[in-house]
Amino acid sequence: MNRIASRATALIILALLLVAGFGFFLVEYFTQSDNWVVHSGSPHVYNGENIGCGVVVDRDNTLLLDMLEGRTYSNSAPLRQSTVHWIGDRYGAISAPAISHYASELAGFDRLNGVYNYGQTGGVAQLTLSAAMQTAALEAMGAYKGTVAVYNYKTGQLLCAVTTPTYDPDNVPQFSEGDSQYEGLYLNRFTQSAYIPGSIFKIVTLAAALETDPTITQKSYACTGSYRIGNEEITCEDPHWNQSLKDAFRNSCNCAFAQIALQLGGETLQQYVEKFGVTDRVTFDGITTAQGNFQAAGQADLNVAWSSIGQYLDQVNPCAFLKFMGAVANDGRAAAPHLVEEITVGGSRTYNAKTRFDQPILSKETVDILQEYLKYNVTDKYGAENFHGLTVGAKTGTGEVGGDKKPNAMLAGFVEDESLPLAFIVCVEDAGYGRAVCVPIISKVLEAAGQALK
Amino acid sequence: MEQFIYTLQTARDTYSNVLVGILRYGAPILAGLLLLRCLKSLLTFRREPEIWAWLCLDDGKKLPITHWENVIGRSKRSDIVIREPSVARSHGVLTRYDNGAWTVTASDAAKSILVNNKKTRHSLLTPEDVFTVGGVQMRLEPITPQQEKKLAQLRTKGSSFTTSLWNVILLTVFQALCCLAYLMSGQRETAQTVLIGFMGLMVMEWLLLLFYVCIHRTSFEVESIAFFLSTLGMNAVAAVVPGEAIKQLFAMGLGLVVFLIVGWSLRNLERAKKIRYIAGIAGMLFLLVTLIFGTEYYGAKNWLVIGSFSIQPSELSKVCFVFMGASTMQRLMKKRNLILFIVYSVALCGCLALMNDFGTALIFFCAFLMIAYMRSGSIGTVALAITALLFAGVMALRIAPHALQRFDSWRHIWEDPLDGGYQQTRALMCMASGGMFGLGAGRGWMKNLFAADSDVVIATICEEWGLVMVMLLIAAVVGLALFVVRSAAVARSSFYTIGSCTAAGIMIVQVMLNALGTVDVLPLTGVTFPFLSNGGSSMLCAWGLLAFVKAADTRQNASFAVRLQKSGGGSDE
Repeated sequence: MNRIASRATALIILALLLVAGFGFFLVEYFTQSDNWVVHSGSPHVYNGENIGCGVVVDRDNTLLLDMLEGRTYSNSAPLRQSTVHWIGDRYGAISAPAISHYASELAGFDRLNGVYNYGQTGGVAQLTLSAAMQTAALEAMGAYKGTVAVYNYKTGQLLCAVTTPTYDPDNVPQFSEGDSQYEGLYLNRFTQSAYIPGSIFKIVTLAAALETDPTITQKSYACTGSYRIGNEEITCEDPHWNQSLKDAFRNSCNCAFAQIALQLGGETLQQYVEKFGVTDRVTFDGITTAQGNFQAAGQADLNVAWSSIGQYLDQVNPCAFLKFMGAVANDGRAAAPHLVEEITVGGSRTYNAKTRFDQPILSKETVDILQEYLKYNVTDKYGAENFHGLTVGAKTGTGEVGGDKKPNAMLAGFVEDESLPLAFIVCVEDAGYGRAVCVPIISKVLEAAGQALK
Repeated sequence: MEQFIYTLQTARDTYSNVLVGILRYGAPILAGLLLLRCLKSLLTFRREPEIWAWLCLDDGKKLPITHWENVIGRSKRSDIVIREPSVARSHGVLTRYDNGAWTVTASDAAKSILVNNKKTRHSLLTPEDVFTVGGVQMRLEPITPQQEKKLAQLRTKGSSFTTSLWNVILLTVFQALCCLAYLMSGQRETAQTVLIGFMGLMVMEWLLLLFYVCIHRTSFEVESIAFFLSTLGMNAVAAVVPGEAIKQLFAMGLGLVVFLIVGWSLRNLERAKKIRYIAGIAGMLFLLVTLIFGTEYYGAKNWLVIGSFSIQPSELSKVCFVFMGASTMQRLMKKRNLILFIVYSVALCGCLALMNDFGTALIFFCAFLMIAYMRSGSIGTVALAITALLFAGVMALRIAPHALQRFDSWRHIWEDPLDGGYQQTRALMCMASGGMFGLGAGRGWMKNLFAADSDVVIATICEEWGLVMVMLLIAAVVGLALFVVRSAAVARSSFYTIGSCTAAGIMIVQVMLNALGTVDVLPLTGVTFPFLSNGGSSMLCAWGLLAFVKAADTRQNASFAVRLQKSGGGSDE
């Protein structure tokens, strides 16, 4: 019997194998369960393609979307239209990467309680967007295609980012393929597009020039309406004659900026564009924006000149350029933009955004001059009366796209105000002059900002 | 009852959140407490050596005989060690019987055992008989009836009736709360069946306790564990297929009958030895009948459908196989080779392979390994068997490479979450969603998944009742196995030790394949979790195996499968 009894220990080995196997699973559980629970298709977190739990509200707790029990959107049609590119539609045509990114926090997942919360209430995701500004921006954009965005350069909060064309997720329009009215309907132009910037790129060229040679402000530039490079010409619509750098910037003088670009050289220009991160992808809240493009290094003089004024192969993503404007407005240090402010589940906060600042990309001297020149543009050209008493610096642009399309109308700038530290960008496709198209749009959005934020 | 259910369900919104909030912590605490009480007494009972007789040697030395089956030999690991060169390492076996009689048996014909100077292979021994083992003369002096009576009184008692009563009360409270939680969350149409299912379970355990009281048995730990597992099985049924609650209750009832029948047949070793052959034949027949008349479901031809009634006879074969594998020491020493048993096992596994039921074949193989090792003590035999299996496996895969497909997604489920890994990825997502304490009864998603109440049942439990509960489930089965190992030291016969170890081994292997398969640590084989998985045949098998575990419980008044020791030589029937 002793022998048989001692052989019974074989059973202990079997039991140990079971315990070890389950222990192995527990290790996997504690290291990977957060991934499992937010994996696409996870029954308690997703509802088909979209997240199926929680509520999304704007910065003032206005309901944008209730994801429980199907999807219930805001009861305001303009608000639905202006936010659908951030919160997604019902059928997965428009995804909501920023919300999916926080699936775990929204579900209130933790390893102890899983996604349990008392009474089965979902989490609440508060976005940085302002519903009032979103609807104002949508209205201001009218029938144009493009995007308008405003962000707080001190906190990084994205207050307004509307993309058009858009549609009402509660009232999906019938449209056929190739219908130009709905071209790029599902695209979030703020994050997923890259535009030919036109003259707003002169801010970048000017910054590079100021960083290279601070005495450039003393120089003056001649413009006869055209500037010859080899057999080709860079032209202005009208001659600007002799002008200071400040005036050349206000005049958006192509001839003057061609001279500055050639003085800098393609390599230097390229170096600064890369340092400023204007063409880099921006990543926030699980979103990665489209990449821009700039190729001046090693190019012929003419191409370098065109590049410096936002033509040739130049492309910028609106979000990346907005962030650059944030650096210009905030002493050379941009606050990285973010969309999701905080997430609470059943009274406890599972996520809280923190402001991230990048390394300074501009010197104090450069920033001071850029700000001065940008504000001068407004007071001396675009009209301060358009900005409701706010101190604004801005630059318009007209990006020639070729073909039978009208140019892209562009505008980038900032508000110098302690209580409204805002940077903005407006990109309108197939529109015409930046000043004529974009200034009225941003004027309405900033008016709404003044009311919504003060 | 209608009115009662209606009232409950209208109160649902108001109270169900509160109930879930309480049960998340309350259920694991109750279950943990119950398990702790059971395992504490199962794993810490005192195993005092019992002296059943004295062996008086020529030189006046008296050796105590502490078992009913004792190997006499020179080897240090013999039960009675006689260090004489003329004595073989394992020379013979001294066996005590239920009626107090003793026999001596030589391990083979070459070994010399003389009883009263006559050479014998097997002979009854009386206290007057002088016998010689390898030239050493000795006499057996059994303990007197008075001593035996004293021994019976001194033997560690099984848990008291009060302890068992409290266990059943705890169990009942746990079941009542589970039932309430499902009634408040479930559909109105199925509420009645769920209620009957849980109530029936409660009635069953109280009846069993009452029966034990009538036959003077008080220990209820092993049964409590089985009922605890069954309760969570009922939870899974209520969550996934509430309409089948009554069917599952019926299966549990039948299981209990199987438990009592197998236990009764194990009570008398002589009877058990005879039944062993019947069980062996029955086990084979079950499989042959299935092979010929069986119906194929999900690729395995392991179902027997008779009218509206369907069973998996291979589950019953498992119990028969344990019977077949168990053996007394006397027999083990006389017939050392395993050939007959190996042939029998290969035939069974062959049938299962033809039925395409590889999960069950694997369990039989593990049971075979367990038995082979218990009987031979030879690691070599086990290694040989595993090698043979590997060869057979390689051959099988060469002949039928599609069998490999089921292992394709193993450890790669997240690479193919919508096809090959669907079942397990959903199971893991739901387990993670449930966290440590679950989402609450009826609030899971697992009911939408195939086999949520059987193959991947632990994910269903984890989602609604939490990972802690799953850990308790596994601890419960591991606890049973450890109890079997502990009680092996005081077992009356190797028949019970081999039987209980094999039965517990089968349970462990099933839990391993089921639970670890669900969570992708092992490939998913579709094996059931004893007592927990929904399914009648599996339930019968689990209770049948439990009878072997119960038969290993030799504590005083503990087990109905062990006869009560009254006074010298006598025992009740």
